[in-house]
Amino acid sequence: MFEFLFNYPLTVYRKGTLVLASGWPPWLLGALVLAAGALVAWLFLRKPLPRQRALALGGLQWAAIALLLLMLWQPAVSVSQLKPQQNVVAVVVDTSRSMALEERIGKATGLLDSGLLEQLKKRFPVRLYGAARDLSRLESLPAQATQAVTNLGASLQGATGEAATLPIGAIVLLSDGADNAGGLDSSTMAALRRSRIPIHTIGFGRERMDRDLEITDAQIPVRSLPDARLSATVTLRQSGYAGKPVRLTVQDGGKTLATREIRLPDDGQSSREVISFQSGPAGAKAVRVSLAVLDGETNDKNNAVTRLVNVEDRKPRILYFEGEPRWEMKFIRRAAELDANLELVSIVRTTQNKFYRQGVTDPKELEHGFPDSIEELFRYQGIIIGNVEAGYFNPQQQSLLKEFADRRGGGVLFLGGRATLSDGGWNHSPAADMLPVLLADRKGTFHREPAAVELTVAGRDSLVTRVEESPDKNMAKWKSLPMIADYQETGAAKPGALVLAEFHPTSGGRFPLLATQNFGRGRVAVFATGGSWRWQMGQDSKDMSHEVFWQQLLRWLVSDVSGRVAAVTTRQVYEDEPRIVIQAGVRDMNYLPSADATVEAHILGPGGVAGVVPLRPVTGVPGAYTGEWLAEAPGAYLTEIVAKQGETELGRDVLNFRREDGVAENFRTEQNRELLERIAQQTGGRYYKPEDAGRLPQEIEYSDAGISVKETHGIWNTPAAFLLFAGMKAAEWLLRRKWGAV
Amino acid sequence: MSKRVARIALLFLLAGSLWAFQRGIRNLFPDSDDETPPADGNEKAEFMWARLRYSNFQGGGGMWARRGAWTVDYPKADRQFLQGVRRLTRLQTRSMEHIVDLISDDIFDYPFVYAVEVGHWSLPDAQARKLREFTDRGGFLMTDDFHGTFEWDVFTTSLNKGFGDRPITDIENDDPIFHVVFDLNDRVQVPGIVNYPFTTQTYEYDGFEPKWRAVRDDKGRIVVGICHNMDQGDAWEWADSPRYPEKYASQAYRTGINYIIYAMTH
Repeated sequence: MFEFLFNYPLTVYRKGTLVLASGWPPWLLGALVLAAGALVAWLFLRKPLPRQRALALGGLQWAAIALLLLMLWQPAVSVSQLKPQQNVVAVVVDTSRSMALEERIGKATGLLDSGLLEQLKKRFPVRLYGAARDLSRLESLPAQATQAVTNLGASLQGATGEAATLPIGAIVLLSDGADNAGGLDSSTMAALRRSRIPIHTIGFGRERMDRDLEITDAQIPVRSLPDARLSATVTLRQSGYAGKPVRLTVQDGGKTLATREIRLPDDGQSSREVISFQSGPAGAKAVRVSLAVLDGETNDKNNAVTRLVNVEDRKPRILYFEGEPRWEMKFIRRAAELDANLELVSIVRTTQNKFYRQGVTDPKELEHGFPDSIEELFRYQGIIIGNVEAGYFNPQQQSLLKEFADRRGGGVLFLGGRATLSDGGWNHSPAADMLPVLLADRKGTFHREPAAVELTVAGRDSLVTRVEESPDKNMAKWKSLPMIADYQETGAAKPGALVLAEFHPTSGGRFPLLATQNFGRGRVAVFATGGSWRWQMGQDSKDMSHEVFWQQLLRWLVSDVSGRVAAVTTRQVYEDEPRIVIQAGVRDMNYLPSADATVEAHILGPGGVAGVVPLRPVTGVPGAYTGEWLAEAPGAYLTEIVAKQGETELGRDVLNFRREDGVAENFRTEQNRELLERIAQQTGGRYYKPEDAGRLPQEIEYSDAGISVKETHGIWNTPAAFLLFAGMKAAEWLLRRKWGAV
Repeated sequence: MSKRVARIALLFLLAGSLWAFQRGIRNLFPDSDDETPPADGNEKAEFMWARLRYSNFQGGGGMWARRGAWTVDYPKADRQFLQGVRRLTRLQTRSMEHIVDLISDDIFDYPFVYAVEVGHWSLPDAQARKLREFTDRGGFLMTDDFHGTFEWDVFTTSLNKGFGDRPITDIENDDPIFHVVFDLNDRVQVPGIVNYPFTTQTYEYDGFEPKWRAVRDDKGRIVVGICHNMDQGDAWEWADSPRYPEKYASQAYRTGINYIIYAMTH
């Protein structure tokens, strides 16, 4: 119909540009149209007609005159058109394993075989390619899709690269769009755009599976302390099983670490589940998160993912400074003593002139009280400031405390008390910047009154406050805890801070009890009471909620504290991608970025694979180093990064990554129509469903890639123009008759 | 018959002498009638001195039977000791004692509990189990002022109802409890006022040697600090008396403070 009305296919109008073929100046057309408008207005407004009718009739007449004038100037569409038989069309067929699902590869080859290829060949020479990890030339249509990887970006760049030796006029991509090698980033898309070769895409596969369950992501901390409680945040989606129960399991080498039943979301919806588990003893763990396979699943290979956790063999040390004897200290110490992977070193001012130290490793440690040097203070990973006034610390110690979190990356916890926070003058200390809450500018904020505690929404999801496995039971448990013995008022939480728990004093009000925030490289928390010991003394001795809470809070404080060398790989699991990028942050002995270090990564892989990668400084980022390595063999890799400054070793870090081949192809197996449409739109092509692909051979002609000519198609004589003119005159005539204005 | 009369007369004579002697001592160490609470006696503080109220063994307890053996030295010893705690440490303590028992659950709000004359206590099974639960949760019990073999047996009979699985051991000199604030390597027997004038005898009954003993938890922490054959309570109570030797009072204060700070740090 479009072609009947406008003489040419829609593609001509889409690709072409409007020109006026008469050669007469366009300004003259504009002037005449304006003059005609003025004349018509003068004539009609003089007539004894109501103003609206005069405007309607005059408008129709002026539009008809303007259309006639436009036609006199001979409008036309100028469009680039490929020269027949002189341009090559690259037909790229996705041969990755996901195309084997639902017989997609058969449908694609069937479509080509059923005439599409012939139609194309009538107009252009055609070259066949296969798309997988990269582009490969095919002599005939592929019978099977067996490749483990789809890298559409690399394949299409390979196809456009053929233009260097061939007049590629267009690319036709037959794919499900299931790219699993990182997707098409903006630079790849820009490169495709720059080639000016239109890419037409034909999408195969259902856009949504009828019956499938898939884990789309699982987030697990990459590092952990031994026997720590970790959480896996699992994102899943499903279709066909709405509301059904399914078992979610976390395993390490076949040993089940945690399992629970979840209920599936609505069809097509994603949902997020959090399951916590114990990290176990030190070592590299391959943690498998899986959903039970349900009856009739289209694809049962996307129900499990593997993530790596490096359970570090270290025992962080926390320095707890208490200004006076308090019950809170005893019970915190007792909770920490039950955790074999934490070391709590405490120091309490027992008298005006005496300290009592516990947990020190040698008689010299802390013999002068709170450290006032980097060497002494920064060897701890966490600090607890108990009931002690800011003025007890000299300015250097107060600055060090701030630097401890900011520069060292340590964790600092402030407890409430009668001589701390606002009542201890911390609101006027430089350290106030690091606190997650605002401090009132007054004294008298500490009250020895009982207060009930309750988790906030953030606290419900936090592992710090998880004393019961089930979130609902955990909320109930917190509500049932004995009242704390005292509380301290603070201001509101600062932007970016999280309030995990609040207290409700019996006298009324609601204040943050536990607030946390990141500060610089470290983290800071305020626990605004010195009376959580009532949770221990007020409950059965077998109840472990007090101990578990404190162990988790202390672990949170120090779990992410790194040494002078902190290394990461860009990904934890490299799926079908051998290029490994290692990045390291290196600090000198004073924990300042070290720009002149010698940094090396020593890699050990499966089957005795080994390598040493020198890491180079990153320009413009002091202390940052990076390097690349090719890990060809699938399996688990262990990497130790060592940094030296001259002959002095600054530190070392250990990390793990994993190489997998052929696993990613089982995920995101629905047709990724959005990606295929984006490729077509960005390159000037079109997306087709297989049933619409018959139009492709004709529409593909209009391209300015390859060897093309500019064609000008007049459109002044289109039936649409005639019908529009006739319609306007008919409308005018009818209105005149109706209004008696003939 | 005459022998029998003579024996009775001798008995009366001895009893009369003892009564006269004790009355004399009482005159030298008169009980304070002033039980007015201190002005800040109800202050809310970090530390509250809790005195354990218990039932007497077979209604015994001598002159204290009517009030109960648990009240010995009460309240002057407690209050005078707490003044010392305030002066000698940074501990914020209330100036007045608080009475707890093993009937209600109030004891769980006071993790340090002092029990005196435990050679006369009699704990029903349920109360002994509650005392065990108290220490299992983290509480600390300090016992004092009981002497000799007989009172030891009375004490352990009740204690073992809750702590039968826990041995009672002597505390070594290098234990933190003797060093947490004050170094107490050279300890002496702290006598009660019955030993006045403290020149020849500082023990009572057959409690010749002072014994610092303990019941410990699974981690080796002292949860029951047992001061046997000594009387810290009298030393605290009469520290302000010129007749009570300073060296005993000083040691009693240091011992009490060490026990409290130990309880708050272990």
